[in-house]
Amino acid sequence: MISCDDLSVTLPGANGPVNILSGVHLRVAKGEFVSVLGTSGSGKTTLLRVLGGLQSATGGRITCDGVDIAGPPDGVVTVFQDYAHSLLPWRTVRRNVALGIEKLDKTERDSRVDEALAMVGLSERDGEYPWRLSGGMQQRVQIARALAMRPRVLLMDEPFGALDAMTKASLQDQLQQVAELTGTTVVFVTHDVEEAVYLSDRLVVLSGSPANIGLSLDVPLPRPRDQIATKERADYLELRHEVYAALGHKVGERASG
Amino acid sequence: MRGTPVRGLIPLVVLLVLWEVLGDPASPYFPPPSTWVDGVSPLVESDRLLPAIGDTSLTFVLGLFIATVLGSLVGTLVGASRPVDRALSPSLEFLRALPAASLVPVAALVLGYTAQMKLVVVVLPAMWPILLTCRSARRSLSPVLLDTPRTLGLSGWDRMTKVLTPALLPAVLLGVRVAAPLALIITLLVEIVTRVNGLGAALGAAQSSFLSAQVYGLLTIAGVLGFVVNWVVTRAETAVSRRMRGTT
Repeated sequence: MISCDDLSVTLPGANGPVNILSGVHLRVAKGEFVSVLGTSGSGKTTLLRVLGGLQSATGGRITCDGVDIAGPPDGVVTVFQDYAHSLLPWRTVRRNVALGIEKLDKTERDSRVDEALAMVGLSERDGEYPWRLSGGMQQRVQIARALAMRPRVLLMDEPFGALDAMTKASLQDQLQQVAELTGTTVVFVTHDVEEAVYLSDRLVVLSGSPANIGLSLDVPLPRPRDQIATKERADYLELRHEVYAALGHKVGERASG
Repeated sequence: MRGTPVRGLIPLVVLLVLWEVLGDPASPYFPPPSTWVDGVSPLVESDRLLPAIGDTSLTFVLGLFIATVLGSLVGTLVGASRPVDRALSPSLEFLRALPAASLVPVAALVLGYTAQMKLVVVVLPAMWPILLTCRSARRSLSPVLLDTPRTLGLSGWDRMTKVLTPALLPAVLLGVRVAAPLALIITLLVEIVTRVNGLGAALGAAQSSFLSAQVYGLLTIAGVLGFVVNWVVTRAETAVSRRMRGTT
């Protein structure tokens, strides 16, 4: 589905060009849920922008279903962390969700908007303006807008990073359900280890400077996952531990001595 | 804000009443308000007042319109790119500091005493507030807002009409709100200086013929025109920015 080979990205910085990513190899299979973890400033967002065609790579090859990515490909939609700036305040929730599908005829558009809003549980609020809604609801509007495009791939850039723990958990479960229901491939950028382990089929850790993929880990936890039961499993805790270690936390060291 | 404009006009009304009561109808400098109507009536009878108001309004509206289009286009382009901004900023600052009145001789030299000359002199200074508000609005536009329509596959035209234009509209109107009174002042100024048509030309002519009552009468009309213009643009700006920015 998505594949990058030897991807490198150099961006202009205040003190000359900065090499952000170098030699990144990543393959994401159809229907797979892959998280990209890394500390802040590690190049996660840059990687996601390249996958979404919002940023061009300086080197390497990157394809989606065998087609080179140059500009945002059809069916690949990015969901941003900053929902407040991504939703248009002069449009109602319904018209925000319809933004990407206004070329379709009205009946088709309406049914897709209804379907997308239902998936995120916002059918009742479609006539309101987004700034009237809570942060969690606004992010759900943004997700609904992406879902209305019927995407093959959903690229999510720390989508729940700005939300409180309760809202975050409920949105994680909603996303899990939607991804399963629609069979959408998801690449999910986060710095939250628990979130990455809980949601993913596989997770990769970006590290180094310039960054590349330091660790790639399958997450064979059974689905559907549950906030309590899954997080109490021994294999969940083990995976979590392993990822923390890869990110440079000295958990093991402190425990042993 | 509702209600206050009327109450705020009380001092002016009191002043005019005092002037009327205490003023000397024969005064060559301060004729009382009741004489103003008589002063202006020759212009009405000879069918010169309405065309004068029309000329002034046309120059003002057209000038403000061109200034809005140019100002928002140039402002948006300059604000979109750091290198362009850096390259053009000093020149823009210089042009901005140029007093409007000093443009009159140059414009008259190049275009003669024509309506086009008036327009040029009005457009240039009226453009700045709009250009500047658009530049800073475009500069501070969230990158996420620009990425959003791209990831949703909107065409370049749709990105401009459905996202960029509405996002910048409050800034444009804020600029227009500042530029509108300015444009009216400059319209009158050019007309007074060059005597090319309009209320300003009538004012200048009345002054040089010592028709002081007519001067005050025309001044009142110009004042009312300014008040109406200001009221309209302020209302429009408030309404649109409330809707576009999504507050209250």
